[in-house]
Amino acid sequence: MIGGLTEEHEELRETARRFLADKCGLSQTRALAEAGASRDDAVWRQMAEQLMLQGIAIPEEYGGAGFGPVELALVLQEMGRALVVAPYFSTVALAGQALTTCRDERARAHWLPRIADGSITATLAVADGTGEIDARAVETVAARDGEGWRLSGTKRFVIDGLSADLLIVAANADDGLGLFLVDGSSAGVQREALPNLDLTRPLATVALDRVDAVRIEDDAATVVAKVADLVAVALAAEQVGGASAALEMAVDYLKLREQFGRPIGSFQAIKHRCADLLLEVESAVNAVNAAASLLAVGDPEGPIAASVAAAWTSRAYTHVTKENIQFHGGIGFTWEHDAHLFLRRAKTSELLLGTPAHHRARVAELAGI
Amino acid sequence: MTVSVASDTLHPRDAATDEEFRATLREFLATQGPGPRPRDPGERVAWTKAWHAILVDNGYAGPSWPVEYGGMDLPFNRQVIYQEEIARAKVPGPLGTGLGIVAPTIIRYGTEEQKQRWLRPMLRADKVWCQGYSEPGAGSDLPSLRTTARREGDEYVVNGQKVWTSGGLLADMLFCLVRTGTPESRQKGITYLNIDARTPGVTIRPLKNIAGGKGFAEVFFDDVRVPVENRIGEENEGWPLVRTSLGHERAAGAMNQAAAFRRILTELVSLAQERGLTHDPLVRDRLADFEIRVRLIRYNAERVIAGIMAKGEPGPTSSVSRLMITNFEQELNEFAVDLLGPEGIIDKGSDQAVQRARWLQGFLLTRASSIGAGTAEIQRNTIAEQVLKLPYDPGMPPR
Repeated sequence: MIGGLTEEHEELRETARRFLADKCGLSQTRALAEAGASRDDAVWRQMAEQLMLQGIAIPEEYGGAGFGPVELALVLQEMGRALVVAPYFSTVALAGQALTTCRDERARAHWLPRIADGSITATLAVADGTGEIDARAVETVAARDGEGWRLSGTKRFVIDGLSADLLIVAANADDGLGLFLVDGSSAGVQREALPNLDLTRPLATVALDRVDAVRIEDDAATVVAKVADLVAVALAAEQVGGASAALEMAVDYLKLREQFGRPIGSFQAIKHRCADLLLEVESAVNAVNAAASLLAVGDPEGPIAASVAAAWTSRAYTHVTKENIQFHGGIGFTWEHDAHLFLRRAKTSELLLGTPAHHRARVAELAGI
Repeated sequence: MTVSVASDTLHPRDAATDEEFRATLREFLATQGPGPRPRDPGERVAWTKAWHAILVDNGYAGPSWPVEYGGMDLPFNRQVIYQEEIARAKVPGPLGTGLGIVAPTIIRYGTEEQKQRWLRPMLRADKVWCQGYSEPGAGSDLPSLRTTARREGDEYVVNGQKVWTSGGLLADMLFCLVRTGTPESRQKGITYLNIDARTPGVTIRPLKNIAGGKGFAEVFFDDVRVPVENRIGEENEGWPLVRTSLGHERAAGAMNQAAAFRRILTELVSLAQERGLTHDPLVRDRLADFEIRVRLIRYNAERVIAGIMAKGEPGPTSSVSRLMITNFEQELNEFAVDLLGPEGIIDKGSDQAVQRARWLQGFLLTRASSIGAGTAEIQRNTIAEQVLKLPYDPGMPPR
């Protein structure tokens, strides 16, 4: 049985929500997005120094807060709700969870404290063509070079790939799959922005030409499989936050906007759709909480729960954001209104890191169908 | 068949730990269970009644009820355990619809005499209680109901018609909403009245449902004389009593409902596998979608239960759970029929019917899932208005 959230959890949520509402309003999001910025430096520092958000799921011995997937999911819900422009998902949910999952003590001791204190940003690139966390779709090649390695290949759909200080890259070595640490500014790393639907989260194509790399000492395939589940839940958490915000935006407007002399939210045609949206969002919240809780304790149900959460939440988020635009009518179709920012994030998140169809196929497989 | 409880043993609810409570209950259900289900409908009723009498007489009935009326008065977490074990043992459920609806109303608003008179016989299934709320002209708009009760001395004289009475043919007692105010009085002129189904002037006729079953009935009242002492609460003050529930007993039952859907889906997957259909990517995708939803139904139930345990509040999930289940069971049964292709339409009269046409029957019977106990449309209105706080429709009568 999945436990409810504790008072500490509620406090964490409240603290993060207040901070982000204060520092990362939607006007700020828009300003950063239009400037093509990856973050607000001051806010990024405060996140780390005042709230320890980057270190939320990093063990205390590496300078983190020592929590796990449940607490990270709570923070990500708030990040998604505020549509924060910052390399948080890439640094913390992707690279951070890859490092906490692996057992390479040297890599952990060197990089985790730097993530926790906000001094570096990082990202993860596994499948070359799709950007998914899928060990079977790695094409980049790792060649031995004395004590070290040199990587060659092209990673597409790398989240925050343009700005990340550290790249964790999957590549095939002569002895099988490996995960490698690459300095983003090394010679031979060519990074190019990938213009895409989501204005609030930059993607990049990262080409590697015999780039210097340090190998993470662990069984990469196992690490990648575990990270895939953690990342699926992390993304679903962010999506749930966005979906809740979009539903609230819709409901607030429906109470105010009047046509035919009455608030349009009083019409059944609208109410029934809102009730269906609430059903989708509430179930998504519970799916994310369940999956994060199961992964946190290493329950064998964790992987299937992760795909359940990912498949359901992706569709729910996109559905809510489309309805939000529809409920707003003409104003919702304007560039100036924020509704499209959520639709853009929703549809992008739905297709990145494993589509709903991919996750349903995985559910079928894991459930023995 | 009656097993009496020894006077020196502790009441089952007093088990020192939850584990001990579960173990004792499981042991009881395993050893005292009702035995195989008779095929004859009449025998099945007698078998069900006998089982509920055993439960009550041994202190294993009414998890949320006060002890003095035959219940167990369990703390909420043990109600959940109770429901889990009952589901696991697959013992017969109650007859009629009184336990979840009129019983909480009697417990909260009845007089001591009424509680003594009605509750234990209802729990033991000595008396089967059925509902008389809906009328031909009053469905979703229940406050427009027109069955009248005219006061004459110590009696009410009832005239009118009720419909969609589930289990009506077995009814010993009918819990009814009747009009005691003016025809226009709506909520302000409704009285809660329990009527003995054997009273002269009561006619109960079976209604065939779309699956051909006779599970429900219509009830006619023709100058039916009902003692005033059968009224719950005051005259014209019945409406606020309608939605009485006992703590969160329904939430406690949600887990075993989730477990039941889990079983049904597993059975459908087995059927699809036996027929070699699970290699089809479209079939796999649909089955995966049901697999996702059956898990969400469980997570939702767990969330509601966790909310009650932590804060005493079921939270917004409880309001959408039923809608989730309605969609799930309707779509699941229809998909099962689709999966079977033309064989899916063979009905239970034929020995060629697949699994005695359970999926076809399910397809028909689950139409009621979005109609009975409040249509899906009314549920959506309620969710929108009470949870999301969207404004009331100004064209509707005041609530």
